[in-house]
Amino acid sequence: MHFSVVLGDDIWSQLGGIIFSWGFLQFIVAFLSFFGFVLTMAVILVLAERKIMGWMQDRLGPIHTGPWGLLQTVADVGKLLLKEDIHASQTDKALFIFAPSVFLAPIIAAFAVIPFSPYVGLPGVVIATGIVYYVAMSSIDVIGVIMAGWGSNNKYALMGGLRSAAQMISYELPLVLALVSVVMLTSVLAGSPGYPGMAGIGTIAIKEIQDFQNVWHPTGIGILDFLFQGFTPWAWFILIQPLMLVIYYVCGLAETNRAPFDLPEAESELVAGYLTEYSGMRWALFFLGEYGNMTIVSAIATYLFLGGWSGPGVGYLLGLGNPWWGLVGNLLAVAYFVTKVFLLCFVFIWVRSTLPRLRADQLMQYAWLILIPTTLFNILLTGLLFLVINSLGLGQFTNIVFLVVTAVINWAMLFAFIWIIRRATTATTRRAQAPAIRAQRREPTAGELPERAGAAGGQ
Amino acid sequence: MTINQDANANLMQGEASEGIKSQEMLLNMGPQHPSTHGVLRLVLKLEGETVVDCTPVIGYLHRGIEKILENRPIMGGIRYMDNADYLSPLLNEIAYAGAVEQLMGIEAPRRAQYIRLLTGEMQRIASHLVAVGTYLVDLGAFTPILWAFRDREGIMSLFEALCGSRFNVNYLRVGGVLHDFPSGWLKECEAFLDQLDKNMVEFEELVTGNEIFEARTRGVGYVDPQQAIAYGLTGPMLRASGVNFDLRVNRPYMAYREVPVKVQVRQEGDCYARYKVRIQEIYESIRLCRVAIDKMPGGPIGTRTPIALRPPRGETYFAIESSKGELGVYFISDGSEYPWRAKLRGPSFVNLEILPEMLRGHKMSDVVAIIGSLDIVLGEVDR
Repeated sequence: MHFSVVLGDDIWSQLGGIIFSWGFLQFIVAFLSFFGFVLTMAVILVLAERKIMGWMQDRLGPIHTGPWGLLQTVADVGKLLLKEDIHASQTDKALFIFAPSVFLAPIIAAFAVIPFSPYVGLPGVVIATGIVYYVAMSSIDVIGVIMAGWGSNNKYALMGGLRSAAQMISYELPLVLALVSVVMLTSVLAGSPGYPGMAGIGTIAIKEIQDFQNVWHPTGIGILDFLFQGFTPWAWFILIQPLMLVIYYVCGLAETNRAPFDLPEAESELVAGYLTEYSGMRWALFFLGEYGNMTIVSAIATYLFLGGWSGPGVGYLLGLGNPWWGLVGNLLAVAYFVTKVFLLCFVFIWVRSTLPRLRADQLMQYAWLILIPTTLFNILLTGLLFLVINSLGLGQFTNIVFLVVTAVINWAMLFAFIWIIRRATTATTRRAQAPAIRAQRREPTAGELPERAGAAGGQ
Repeated sequence: MTINQDANANLMQGEASEGIKSQEMLLNMGPQHPSTHGVLRLVLKLEGETVVDCTPVIGYLHRGIEKILENRPIMGGIRYMDNADYLSPLLNEIAYAGAVEQLMGIEAPRRAQYIRLLTGEMQRIASHLVAVGTYLVDLGAFTPILWAFRDREGIMSLFEALCGSRFNVNYLRVGGVLHDFPSGWLKECEAFLDQLDKNMVEFEELVTGNEIFEARTRGVGYVDPQQAIAYGLTGPMLRASGVNFDLRVNRPYMAYREVPVKVQVRQEGDCYARYKVRIQEIYESIRLCRVAIDKMPGGPIGTRTPIALRPPRGETYFAIESSKGELGVYFISDGSEYPWRAKLRGPSFVNLEILPEMLRGHKMSDVVAIIGSLDIVLGEVDR
């Protein structure tokens, strides 16, 4: 596809040449199906959230619309589409109207770099700077939130918008730093036997990072090759950098404004935060964006830490060279990928039904005092480990020793992290409780009234 | 000195720069707000997210219950008491019936007193379950409220079997209660209490040890014991500040003269302590219910009183320990069928007075955490 066409006299024929070319048609079909995927994913996730939370909370969730309430979200979408689009009188019209689109567009655009299977993906899949693109897109959507908060001319919305600005920007940093550690791993491994790439040059392309999590050499034994070609869970980066997955996921929760970081739309404090004045389809666009964001955070985590679309059979079937088996392999790959994404989304829902919400200042403390130092320390540690182990002169064992040592240290750090968080929470709450503890040293004040004679009980 | 240098000098002295102009924001929280527990309206003066000042505005749920009581025969007033504190209607009725009995100088039979204790404690459990459940919703946790309401539903079903109504039970009568237990009710009640015991352990596993929950509640909304007494706080609010005062013990009434109550006191005086006191009181109420079932005496469930009840001339004040604190009923009778004056001392109303004091200097997010820990019911505040 060549877009660098010089538009000459015969402009219409040239435009027609672009529009009716196979390349453009392919793009349209791919784009529409991906857009459809985002919408469908949101619809499924909304229903899944209501159902799963219902089961966790000892209730049924929606049951009346369709069998087991499966059509509930469909009905909701219909309702939202038909609803009146209400504007408050003093809103900043332009900001108010464009905010949902500004929020949603980068989220859908971020899907451009997500491959779904070896052959299914938008043209953006091949770009070499996938992670940078994703990070850029996920930082843009905060603008939509601020626009909504400011344009609504509502104090709750304004507070929600500003809270989310602070929150999304703060959590962007540890998110990126957590991903950097994975990129470091790829640059250590690149070029060594069994790994793609040139020595010393890592990758930030999402699809290539997945290739680094595949260390299978064909053995010639059919069943083993079938199962493990392209699917080696023992080489997934979750085993080597588990703490970074946890931190990435926590930051993902904050980026998507999900509980326990849902301060911008904190229902009990700010009514609905920046969503307060929205109704109908504009509100639905924000909602859609939130669930699309959930999907994309899970998808990136899948690729960087969980081996992407790899699963038993995919690599083998694709390697056969037969187009029909290739199709089956692709379908399998999509199935594995979507399953992993759904598992991670399930954790989103699980967390939401378990945890209370943080306070704004605690949220900031958590990002700046805990997450950013931890991720920075991890980057330093990974680099140091490589330097030390590389200088030992272990020859061909350098990589394996490095991976094992890094993994052991990172798992230890994961548990230490959880322990330290608990201790830090206790310490800070103790400090907050200082006046109460002073009171504790005092004797309990006796009741004002004298106890009646013969009264039983008391302490 | 240029303006820039001026500002720099100010910054170096640690003072606020004059270049940035900030303004206090007036925020109307309520009466339609998800977490003001009804129709409380708070006028908050905010500086950023910090509360500078707060003015509670009440009266949106005023139904003139006291006036209604004065215009109904004394027998008929019980039904209107249900609507005062609508989360614990039975306790309201006990206070009303107790006041009339005190005015007339009669006492309910022993069995009726024990029935009142049993149902009253169950009502207290129900009220506390709603209190902790909605409190957790204020803090952003979704699951606890539904678990709490599931357990409360058991109490509601038992009340329906006993009184014919789940909520506004209209069960108490002057000098007794309306019905005796249906057959098998006590057994079902015991089974429910066993289940509730288990459910509460599960509930505490989910909530009490949670780091976020502790970070949100510990040290927030501290009330000094002296301050608590000065503001006239009662109930869990007072006991969480370390004051050992419970009307069931300090001024026992009805069956509480025979059944000792272990008062639940905590010293911290913050939101966490108030939550904890309510949870402990649920356990204590379960224990009291079991004691009441074990000791349930036989005999009549009510004394015969004339339908046209005419208490003697005089006045009386009778207070019970409601789920929120001291619930008092004050009557002046002129000897007719109608009370000449009826006045309620609602614990929610009195406990609400300390709110501006508690909110000052806290963050916007803490506002809901503190309001939730007061456990007010606007039906009782506005009456």
